[in-house]
Amino acid sequence: MRLPARHPDTATASHSAWEPAKLRLRLMGLVAALSQAGAVFAATIAITVQEPGGHPLAGTVITLHPLAGQSQPAPAVHAVMDQLSRAFEPDVLVIPVGSTVAFPNSDSVSHQIYSFSPTKRFQLPLYRGTPYPPVRFDQAGVVTLGCNIHDDMVAFLLVTDAPFYGRTDATGSWSAEVPRGRYRVSIWHPRLRDEAAGFERELTIDDTDRATLTLRLAKSLQPARIEGRPHSWDSY
Amino acid sequence: MGQLLKHPARSSCAARCLLALCAALATAAQAADWELDVDARLLTSEGGKSFLEAGLGTVRYGEDQSGLRLGRARATISQQLGEVWTLHIDASAWGDEDKSPVGVTEAYLQYRPYPFSGYRLRVKAGAFYAPISLENRASGWESPYTLSSSAINTWLGEELRTIGLEAQLDWLGTRTGHAFDLGLTGAVYGWNEPAGVVLATDGFTLHDRQTPLFGRVGRGGYEPLEPFRQIDGRAGYYGGLEARYLDRVVFRALHYDNRADPSAYDAVSQVMAWRTKFDSAGLRFESGNGWTAVVQWLNGDTYIAPGDLQLEWPFNARFALLSKRIGRHMLSARYDKFLVATGKGNPEGDGAQSGHAWTAAYLFQLNPQWRFTLEWLRVVSSSFNRGEILGTAGVATQTQLQLAVRCALGSSIQ
Repeated sequence: MRLPARHPDTATASHSAWEPAKLRLRLMGLVAALSQAGAVFAATIAITVQEPGGHPLAGTVITLHPLAGQSQPAPAVHAVMDQLSRAFEPDVLVIPVGSTVAFPNSDSVSHQIYSFSPTKRFQLPLYRGTPYPPVRFDQAGVVTLGCNIHDDMVAFLLVTDAPFYGRTDATGSWSAEVPRGRYRVSIWHPRLRDEAAGFERELTIDDTDRATLTLRLAKSLQPARIEGRPHSWDSY
Repeated sequence: MGQLLKHPARSSCAARCLLALCAALATAAQAADWELDVDARLLTSEGGKSFLEAGLGTVRYGEDQSGLRLGRARATISQQLGEVWTLHIDASAWGDEDKSPVGVTEAYLQYRPYPFSGYRLRVKAGAFYAPISLENRASGWESPYTLSSSAINTWLGEELRTIGLEAQLDWLGTRTGHAFDLGLTGAVYGWNEPAGVVLATDGFTLHDRQTPLFGRVGRGGYEPLEPFRQIDGRAGYYGGLEARYLDRVVFRALHYDNRADPSAYDAVSQVMAWRTKFDSAGLRFESGNGWTAVVQWLNGDTYIAPGDLQLEWPFNARFALLSKRIGRHMLSARYDKFLVATGKGNPEGDGAQSGHAWTAAYLFQLNPQWRFTLEWLRVVSSSFNRGEILGTAGVATQTQLQLAVRCALGSSIQ
């Protein structure tokens, strides 16, 4: 995942509500939570996602929505979805609503980027380099990206209104510091089958400093995209 | 070029077209994708006399052509014209005697509007291949697995080209949360009415030479023939469907009918219209660890009715290919089986052919520019015409061993 230097790891890291820059955004939710639940303290939530056989699933997007009180989305970021060697880089990007994404083309060939997803429909006509300003995403949901010239190019943007989000690492794990309370934990991965079935759990963090949750998928993932196959093999 | 010089009017027209094309390309050269390939062969052949020299060899090179040969020299350009139009031209030299030393195998304008609500439309106008082969998937309609195409796809490269209009509508399921994509294709075309004559004369062959547009293809015992001609003014059609499972499995089926009037005859060129119909189906499976399996099937017939005669040749071919890619190495093996039968009005068996072939190939891709391929091909076939026209043995085993060195340069080869 490539991000602008002034926002190191913003799009991948979990969001703590207590960083100064976010304090103002959190204040209303914090007051509401205090009034409803009494004392609110930070606790660590650690989530692990596994495939049916128990193998860790890296790259899973996790979002946490508080079930009580008002919830504000995480602060917007400026992210980058590059195009390198006729592929999007990264292939999955998770961003808070209101974020902008730049789509530079670092290839020597032209690309023509589009999305027909209801979350955000847009087109970036034929280009190389970075001729267009970043695109802003104001609605939560999945955006599927494609190139109208190279049909095998595909990537996903997950636009979330959750205050806490992240992606699992190579061990299938993700953790964050969050206020105590009840949360809806949702996961998303481009290779999950039966998206409509929903992958959500409720989790309450009350008198513990560390809550852990292991989610094991009931169905195996769709096969990964074939790697190393020459692009010229898709000519006909 | 020789032909052009003999016809000043045609030469002037061609020169004007070429100049206009160059001007158009120059103005937008920034966005053009291009590729240049040269494929040289060192080979030994026990293939009889080549079909290009009026023989009935089933492989590309005759036994008198062993040594160093040009496999293919190719130039291609894809030029974006405005936002949603693309011009594609593919030209090749095959190192043999056709009408022109360089011929165009495909030239078309494609309309590519942005996909909308999960559907994608593609329209092609010009000359191009019908979506049948699951083997010839690489740039230039080449097979990435072997040098020589299967019997089915060799025939498509020899005699078939869509010179007309094709529309394809895809439902992009994989972009909308599903595991499948589906596509429908339909086309109308002309200038393909002699298609079938080579099958009824030479039978099936296995090679990689594609007949250039309005170029010639050899016929055993006869003068070469031009398969891209319009004789009766009737348009042909095909309709096909395609289903894909992720990027792993592709299924294609197509019905083709050139709707030629089997009694039509062009007295000037002495070329007849051959009514050719066929059904084809194929499946390609790829695994995540480098395995590819391809099967294709083709079944149809070609028919002529000159005067009071009615002559029919049913044909059938199929193949199975298995390939394993290990890094820069690839090993492939293929088995072909083919048959040209003789139907009504042709009890003596004129043009009948049957046979099978084994192909084994090893490919080493040194880097994006350089590729080395070693291919062994053996075809065992029985041909009525070998005895009847050439006076040689009807049953023949033909073997060809080729080492190909290919160098490619291009805007996306780095």
